[in-house]
Amino acid sequence: MKVSVLQENLAKGLNIVSRAVSPRSTLPVLSNVLVATDEGRLRLSATNLELGITCWIGAKIEEEGSTTVPARTFTELVGTLSDQQVEMSLSVRTQTLNVHSGSSNTDLKCIDSQEFPPMPTPDSGDAIPISVNDLKEMIQQVAFAASTDEARPILTGVLVTVNGDELTMASADGFRLSVRKANLSSSTSRPQLAVVPARALSELARIISDGDQMVDMILPPDRGQVIFQMQDIQLVSQLIEGTFPDYEQIIPRSKETRSVLSTSSFLKACKQAEIFAREGSHIARINITPGGELKPGSIMISGQSEETGSSQSEMDASIDGSPLLIAFNVRFLREVLEVVKTPEIALETSVDTAPGIIRPVGDDSFLHVIMPMHLGS
Amino acid sequence: MSIHILPPEVASQIAAGEVVERPASVVKELVENSLDAGATQISVTVKEAGRGLIEVADNGSGISLDDLPLTVSRHATSKLSTADDLFQIATLGFRGEALASIGSVSHLTLTSRSRDSDQGGKLRVDGGHISAVEPVGVPEGTVVKVADLFYNVPARLKFLKKDVTERRHIEEFVARYALAYPGVRFQLRQEDRHTIQTSGNGDRREVLASLYSLELAQQMLEVIAEYEQLTITGFTSAITFTRSNRREIILFINGRWIQDTALVTAVVQAYHTFLMVGRYPQSALFLELPPELVDVNVHPTKAEVRFRNRDHVFRGVQRAVRRALLAHTPVPDISRESFGPASDPVDFQRMDQAWPSPDQDFQQGQLHWEPRDRQLDESRVPLLRLIGQVAATYIVAEGPDGLYLVDQHAAHERILFEQFLQQRQTSIPSQVLLEPSVVEFSAAEASLINDQLPVLGTLGFQVEEFGLNTFLVRGIPQILAGIEPGAALRVLVEDFEEDETPLQAEFEAKIIARVCKRAAVKGGQTLSVEEQRVLVEDLEACQSPRTCPHGRPTMIHLSVDLLERQFGRRGAR
Repeated sequence: MKVSVLQENLAKGLNIVSRAVSPRSTLPVLSNVLVATDEGRLRLSATNLELGITCWIGAKIEEEGSTTVPARTFTELVGTLSDQQVEMSLSVRTQTLNVHSGSSNTDLKCIDSQEFPPMPTPDSGDAIPISVNDLKEMIQQVAFAASTDEARPILTGVLVTVNGDELTMASADGFRLSVRKANLSSSTSRPQLAVVPARALSELARIISDGDQMVDMILPPDRGQVIFQMQDIQLVSQLIEGTFPDYEQIIPRSKETRSVLSTSSFLKACKQAEIFAREGSHIARINITPGGELKPGSIMISGQSEETGSSQSEMDASIDGSPLLIAFNVRFLREVLEVVKTPEIALETSVDTAPGIIRPVGDDSFLHVIMPMHLGS
Repeated sequence: MSIHILPPEVASQIAAGEVVERPASVVKELVENSLDAGATQISVTVKEAGRGLIEVADNGSGISLDDLPLTVSRHATSKLSTADDLFQIATLGFRGEALASIGSVSHLTLTSRSRDSDQGGKLRVDGGHISAVEPVGVPEGTVVKVADLFYNVPARLKFLKKDVTERRHIEEFVARYALAYPGVRFQLRQEDRHTIQTSGNGDRREVLASLYSLELAQQMLEVIAEYEQLTITGFTSAITFTRSNRREIILFINGRWIQDTALVTAVVQAYHTFLMVGRYPQSALFLELPPELVDVNVHPTKAEVRFRNRDHVFRGVQRAVRRALLAHTPVPDISRESFGPASDPVDFQRMDQAWPSPDQDFQQGQLHWEPRDRQLDESRVPLLRLIGQVAATYIVAEGPDGLYLVDQHAAHERILFEQFLQQRQTSIPSQVLLEPSVVEFSAAEASLINDQLPVLGTLGFQVEEFGLNTFLVRGIPQILAGIEPGAALRVLVEDFEEDETPLQAEFEAKIIARVCKRAAVKGGQTLSVEEQRVLVEDLEACQSPRTCPHGRPTMIHLSVDLLERQFGRRGAR
């Protein structure tokens, strides 16, 4: 293999794929990045067997070939190169990659590319095109609510369903549920569903290049994988096996009280309460008082700690229904408010033991359910 | 197959299975009978780990000739007459089953002379068949010989453990009773070897010394406490002496040895933050409470009891032990040698020779105890005069009794730990689950949870019964919210099983993590004089200032006495 690439492109490509490198593995080759010539471009791939990322960069190819290069060393090295052009040539016999750039000349010990796990090739037929903006926002609004507890693997995933022209992502960690829907530009022939690791989706949101307009999601039948295909990047993830809980059932059908308030003030109040609540119980008490004839309704959020003190903040809200004192984990509240895009949100509650729902006002595509907390008797 | 009433021998053998599990249970039943008979001397002889012979001889009130045949028939007892008496039990036995049960699975010989009779009687029972009473001349008291135990129950015989184990069970049992009845002279001979020998002079510490070691007896702290209707006496080990398991936490209620995980928990809890993880104290506690407040008729072996007011007893035990500990929490010695043993070991061979004649002078073996008693107010650190800081890690201070070296990091950790602990909320917030979780447990765990259902609510769990051994978890404590609901409930079950205060470990771990993460000054940090002074003052104000929350010492004490020795001002030892 003998190729010449731009340092900038190589650094960017390595940065993207290195997210999938497994730094500690019993398989040494998984700590490496596959570097291979591929139809006039240079292909960089990394995988930890759960998640695989491939990135193609432009290159001048003099001689075809492939090898795997230690990811960390290679990334650090490329970061220090100052000259624009980087020339790489592989000695197949010794599996040594010579990296030459400007005045620097480096030899890297590599592992034969035969040992690298094969990356899947998508069957482009079943591709579901999703708008990049939608996808990024969906992931941002859903992935954080997935569980991090490996004891319940299914909840560490995000349920992705495609039905007609509607795409839905849902995640739950046992205490909260986040659901986001989006319309697809074209209708799919058959309904599909998959549980994608939340981590893979977060990585996807991070690497989606701004240049792309659309991402193709491909669920090859019976492979237990999902492939996200962009212009120059491909991300493959193993799906999580199992049945995702029927979340529709969890969403309350009725409500006693609907409070509409400013998203940013609510978020600010929650952050303030969290300063105190995080030391102890993580509880934010929310006191909902409907307005009278002359004065507007109000919502008071308070957090307290035995050690540092307590805080209350009150804000005006338009409240429809009966008064209620309810407690939530303040972190859950803050996290959902951080991802709501609309200036106002609606908090729907019924009793202090029933879940609360947060919906962006004027946007039906997102909803978030949080279970309340109780102070022990 | 037709249904028929079992012959009495078979029924007896079945019942015997409950009472007589192993040789140690025979010893238990017989020794308890002796104690009920008011014996002041009890001699137990065991051969072949109890399979060959178990003989229990006492000098108790004995059994009159006429009553002898009755003693070995089922449900015959002198200790109880009406059902109402069951709630007022003051004797160890009362079921009237022991002798009959033992008789049905062995060759039993009963020889006895009652105090007010000139002639004794002898009776044999062979596998349940009772022979006629023959008059014999014997000293006052009762001797029961149980030979060839389980000779007619091969299954039971087969399930006996190794001789070593069975012998250990017998020994543990006699030791416990020797401790509970220091006024009774106990002797245990196993395979012609004296293994336990007590003087019967009423001094429990002496019994401790003879059962364990003199060193241990010295280290044991005395527990004396009285709460309404509950008296607690006994011993518990100083924090410097620990065990790797809870087996040596022995509890007696009204003179009866009992097994109660909750009360053992109470003891362990009293040592909370004093002991390293996985270390347990050694204790022997004797609880006295009115018989009507405790039900011993739970199981034939009577090792389990029920309390009318369990919480009261639990709190009482915990407070009594904690108080004893706080009064004695010692500062680790700089040098072990600086404290000589309080007295020389007792020569128990001599005591052995004194046996069995009660007239011989037992005073020879009497000990003079100098337990390291400190007054209650001395558990705190005395007022210290700050001298300065050494190696940016240790604070040097002078107290009324010498020099103190304080580890600034450990001391600050202790101070913060106590502050945080005080601030801790009493109520535990509960996080409701998105979807109730159905969790299945083993029958034993399920009954534990069932027992504790009301407690679970206060611990932040919302749990309902959901069919056989299955529970519906609706909410879990916030502190456990990171883990799966079933696992969270299991954490609690383990706490119960392990006799820990439920969730205490979680809370403490959290507090300790906070203490470590935050604020606690590290070693190697130079402190201003003002900072040093405040640290020492705060430490003086701590409840248990002598250890850090991880169990390491916060200070070393160099007494004036030790300094004088080291400088050769006093005769070196």
